[in-house]
Amino acid sequence: MRPVVVTGLGAVSPFGVGVKPYWAGLAAGACAIRPLTLFDAAAFRCRIAAAVPESPGASPRRSRADGLALGAAGEALDDAGLGRVERREAALIVGAVGGGMLEAEAWYWARAQGERVPSWAAALRSMLPGSHAGTLAHRLGLGGPRHSVVTACSSGAVALAEAAELIADGVVDVALAGGVDAMTRLCFMGFNALKLLDPEPCRPFDRDRRGMSIGEGAAFVVLEAAERAHARGARVYAELAGHGMTTDAFHVTAPQPEGEGMTRAMRAALAVAGLDPRGVGYVNAHGTATPQNDRIEALAIARVFGEGRVLVSSNKSMIGHTMAAAGGLEAVATILALTHELVPPTANLGTPDADVAFDCVPRVAREAAIEHAISNSFGFGGQNVTLLFRRA
Amino acid sequence: MERRAVVVTGVGVVNAAIVGASPALGAWLAAPRPAARVTAHGRPAVRLPEGTLAGLIDPGEARRLSRVCQLTIAAARLATVESGLDPARGLGLVVGSELGDFTSTIAFADGYLARGAAGLSALLFPNTVMNTMAATTAIAVAARELALTLNVPTVAGELAIARGVAAVASGRVDAVLAGGVDEVDPLVEEMLGTLGDRDVRGEGAAFLVLEAESVARARGATTLGRLAGAAWRALPARPWGVGRRSGSRAIEEALAGAALGPPGFVYCSASGDAERDGWEARVLAAALGDATPPAVSLAPLLGQHAGLGALRVAAALWTARAGVLPDDAGGPARRVAGPGLVHGLARGGAHVAVIASAA
Repeated sequence: MRPVVVTGLGAVSPFGVGVKPYWAGLAAGACAIRPLTLFDAAAFRCRIAAAVPESPGASPRRSRADGLALGAAGEALDDAGLGRVERREAALIVGAVGGGMLEAEAWYWARAQGERVPSWAAALRSMLPGSHAGTLAHRLGLGGPRHSVVTACSSGAVALAEAAELIADGVVDVALAGGVDAMTRLCFMGFNALKLLDPEPCRPFDRDRRGMSIGEGAAFVVLEAAERAHARGARVYAELAGHGMTTDAFHVTAPQPEGEGMTRAMRAALAVAGLDPRGVGYVNAHGTATPQNDRIEALAIARVFGEGRVLVSSNKSMIGHTMAAAGGLEAVATILALTHELVPPTANLGTPDADVAFDCVPRVAREAAIEHAISNSFGFGGQNVTLLFRRA
Repeated sequence: MERRAVVVTGVGVVNAAIVGASPALGAWLAAPRPAARVTAHGRPAVRLPEGTLAGLIDPGEARRLSRVCQLTIAAARLATVESGLDPARGLGLVVGSELGDFTSTIAFADGYLARGAAGLSALLFPNTVMNTMAATTAIAVAARELALTLNVPTVAGELAIARGVAAVASGRVDAVLAGGVDEVDPLVEEMLGTLGDRDVRGEGAAFLVLEAESVARARGATTLGRLAGAAWRALPARPWGVGRRSGSRAIEEALAGAALGPPGFVYCSASGDAERDGWEARVLAAALGDATPPAVSLAPLLGQHAGLGALRVAAALWTARAGVLPDDAGGPARRVAGPGLVHGLARGGAHVAVIASAA
């Protein structure tokens, strides 16, 4: 199997458009979770979320999610310096959940009240999560194999794993992969219904954590066969040295209580990379801030790496849970942590949970020269993914 | 990279005309009859008769699970039972779906529209995420390796099979349960009609157990055929559009991977959308030349749904074994020989090719 490296990064996050503001926000430990204004949240216990402040590529003919995806994907391709010819061969794997549901909801709400909504055909065409891949391929000139993958909150990370396999197996030399999700009423209402949202900005790994905050965004990376990237003189951020994908087969919304599937995913990533657990210095955690998820993830990390042996932090404390985008955004953060030798903090972490046997980097970023880091993503249905990055 | 040979050891089908494993599919293919159509929002559609799922799903699951999840589990179980596979030895799952659990999504939204926040159902919410079929099926069949849900217009079932073949051939997993599922929903029918969708829609699920040939033989499994090549690519087209290019890398790569020579028959994805069907015909002609073999779709009999894409792969294996290609327009079956090409091409350009041969 061929080594796979990262040569381009793109992000649209609640900190703004571009990788630069994204990393600046993470490094500063800033929190982008604010009162939600995208739609009416007055009826709910939680009324805050981490929205993208300006939607790139906004157009009445394009869904908000497509705009976010185009912003991040275009940045990643430009960053990698991929020209038209190279793009024609590039694979495209998109992790998505909500699709263009925000606009479809507006259509359905209006329809239920007997109103008409302009440009609703465009809204319906982009409603399904698979629609982003078509839009991105058409707009960005990507002509290789493409598919859209839905594994709930781990979708973005699965997209990277899928692309890495296509390259490692020799199907393609280069791929654009990542995740996108715009805020939707259904998602916000659903997590409210499950009583999984904290009315205050979320506090992963805090003793008094009370649940998640919802976010939105998009992140894409360009993955390439290492030999090809080196041959064309591309800047290499990191190697995607391993990944693991497992399923709990336990419960639709709750993780397996011992973190068995999470443990297998992390061990699978280590096995693919041929790496001893002691070689990993940082875990970019899924870290949703629900009492159950954080405890079980910490248990699984301890089982794989040993208690206290790695730094652990959660980006969701700053940008909320961006759903299908989370795996992509957190992969970008993990890569940048390696390149900048700086571990982003867990914001809002005041009183560490005694059951979490790790330094969770409270509030302030930590300088650390790390050779290997992993990014965990877990989703509804017990869909576990671990990506393992090696510093270039 | 060395690729492992991939065989099929189990088939499960639940749709308006076929309920069962490979013998039931074979019996229907030997004498195919169209499933009854209903009309919804001025569009014809093929729906599963009431009560079909009753004997396939236990009462607890029937109460707890949405209809499309029940469809998925029923077909997946039929396939795994036929294969005799022990999931504890490592089983992956790939589910292709175009529409997911739209019915639950609409019901969830309706709860809010009717009663505000108090009308929201915590039980329905997980079904609004398209991987709900994979999540519930993974639990039902104890699939604990990768579990993917692939979403693409009209060729999601074929794509799921091709992705499953890749997972097994690469050696990452020894067995994958792969297939497709969709259900007909009145609101979706209304929306598709408004968007100019010309397909006759159907519903159902079909799943295949794909195994490394070496592993299947070692456990003494009966094989139904070999998936000798599989590839997916994209042809240039606007989203929802039909493209002009007819050169097919997917067919070329699938045939090259199989190294079996030209196909003797084709299961194609023609489904009544004249513009798209014409594009597919041009792509097949460009790839296979003057020797384009006889082709059949089955969509006129069963209605377009992601389950049909996977069913076509199982049907191609049956045809490769039996040497018989059914006709979906009421004509006589044709005698054919050799491997078959299962071909899918969607509006927007998603493009899949799978080569099926007798074991």
